Amino acid sequence: MLLGLITTPFYDLVAENERQLRPVIQGLKPLVKSFIGGEQAEDLFTPQGFLALRYFAFLPVILGIFASVVGSGMLASDEERGILDFLLAHPAGRSSVFLGRLAATFLTMVAILLLAWFGLWLGVLRAESLNFPPGQILLPYISVLAVGTFFLTLSLALSMTMPSRVTAAMTAGFIVLAGEILTNLAKAIMELKLAARFSPLTYFQTNAMSGLEIKPLMGLLAFAIIWTVLAWLGFQRRDIRVAGDGGWKLPFLSRKNRIN
Amino acid sequence: MSKDSQPIIRVNSLTKSYGGFHALRGIDFEVQRGEVFGFLGPNGAGKTTAIRCMLDLIRPSSGSLLVAGHDPQRNPVAVRARCGYLPGELRFDENITVSAALNFFQQLRGATAACRRRAAVLSDRLELDTASRIKNLSKGNKQKIGIVSAFMHEPELLLLDEPTSGLDPLVQQTVMDLVAEVQHGGATVFFSSHVLSEVQAVAGRVAIIRDGSIVEVSDTSALSGRGKVEVRVRFACPVPPEKVQLAELSGVTLIAFEDDGRLLEFAVSENMDGLVKWLAAYPVATLETRQCGLEEVFHAHYPGKEKHVSAISPS
Repeated sequence: MLLGLITTPFYDLVAENERQLRPVIQGLKPLVKSFIGGEQAEDLFTPQGFLALRYFAFLPVILGIFASVVGSGMLASDEERGILDFLLAHPAGRSSVFLGRLAATFLTMVAILLLAWFGLWLGVLRAESLNFPPGQILLPYISVLAVGTFFLTLSLALSMTMPSRVTAAMTAGFIVLAGEILTNLAKAIMELKLAARFSPLTYFQTNAMSGLEIKPLMGLLAFAIIWTVLAWLGFQRRDIRVAGDGGWKLPFLSRKNRIN
Repeated sequence: MSKDSQPIIRVNSLTKSYGGFHALRGIDFEVQRGEVFGFLGPNGAGKTTAIRCMLDLIRPSSGSLLVAGHDPQRNPVAVRARCGYLPGELRFDENITVSAALNFFQQLRGATAACRRRAAVLSDRLELDTASRIKNLSKGNKQKIGIVSAFMHEPELLLLDEPTSGLDPLVQQTVMDLVAEVQHGGATVFFSSHVLSEVQAVAGRVAIIRDGSIVEVSDTSALSGRGKVEVRVRFACPVPPEKVQLAELSGVTLIAFEDDGRLLEFAVSENMDGLVKWLAAYPVATLETRQCGLEEVFHAHYPGKEKHVSAISPS
């Protein structure tokens, strides 16, 4: 919410200083330029481009990291703390616990994005040169939500197969950061374009304010469904660990600890 | 056979392996409705693993289980609805109050008025401060939350995994009283413990588990009866070592020869008559007897870990 309020006033400053800033951007090396929008870097001086490059470009990384941490801990955290063991001794099915927590986590993510949208809208209202209807600035958040859901479900699926919550969170977090770097570098290095196709962040629509493409959105959501199904199957079939399990030990090394 | 006449727990050839480690090696036993069944074994014997299989928290490698008429893997919710469970290692979300935790567990069990009333009664009886945050409670008080949660819905089967762990003696006694009361009310109690005396006090039958295998299932009274009687005799004057020839006394073993022959201890596994007649030849100052009971039977299943059952030769 704060990010939106803080970022928007800077557009007026950027617009005022376009004559000085444009040559600077034009003079940047392609590799450096790739991290501030690549070929679209000069869109910074348009209201829409400014929001895309200075605000929406960061959101999928922030939300991706958040989703990786929250998704990996959704079940594994309580499992490692020994809480899930006692919870599942009550008449609650594994599917109910899984779906209930997934829905709650997803709704939390939606609520966070709605707050962020509200903050940006307040910022847009205050800025003199920005004039967007609230519905238009909502569109990129839908794309952010798709990326967030992808990483939420990916880290959840990883937490059901990896020895600990931390390893799952770090793996998913690494994919977020590596994906972001790869997606940006591919804007400058043509040889990386093929590899960037495997980065989920390539399918984030920075310029969704001018229209949301359904195909990349559906692609991310389709993968999210696949990760969800895999995580659900993993949770259905696995042994619930007791408190103290997890950490950096490989499963076969920590097995004796769980016997009592 | 009607459902009520079936065993409430039936375990057939149950195994559980973690890679090359065998936690359960094909255990078989049945628990009848209305009994208190003791499950004895040291740490790591497989007690908790067996209980967690019964609640479908972990999946057996092979074998079958029937708990309260249901297969836990096929119908875990039905099994858990009929069971109360107190784990050996109890953890909660520490940032909530006791009453919030109990409310949550009541919601999971349908939040009936009877359940709420019983939870309040149990909390009072255990002197559990429901307004406190869980993180501020001692281990024993956290254990009380587990006890309330396990007993509050009056389940037909209670699975108690070392229920008195961390409790002071007074609360331990309250728990033992609760076990006796629920059994009187018709419930079945599966009581896992390594504290032999408490199992002996409440259990009608006992299974002893060792390294993942059941080594004995028997009535507690029969097992206790099998235990030796220890006889400690203090003599008015010393008994010469060469006079302590017990070979002809069947079932009598000398286990201590102290104070130059003034204090002798014997283990008697059969008739006491022979020892009494032998003692009559010497001036006895005091004589004490102690039934060894379940403890000795338990230790007999752990060779090398017996307390003092081997014979001691007088020097």
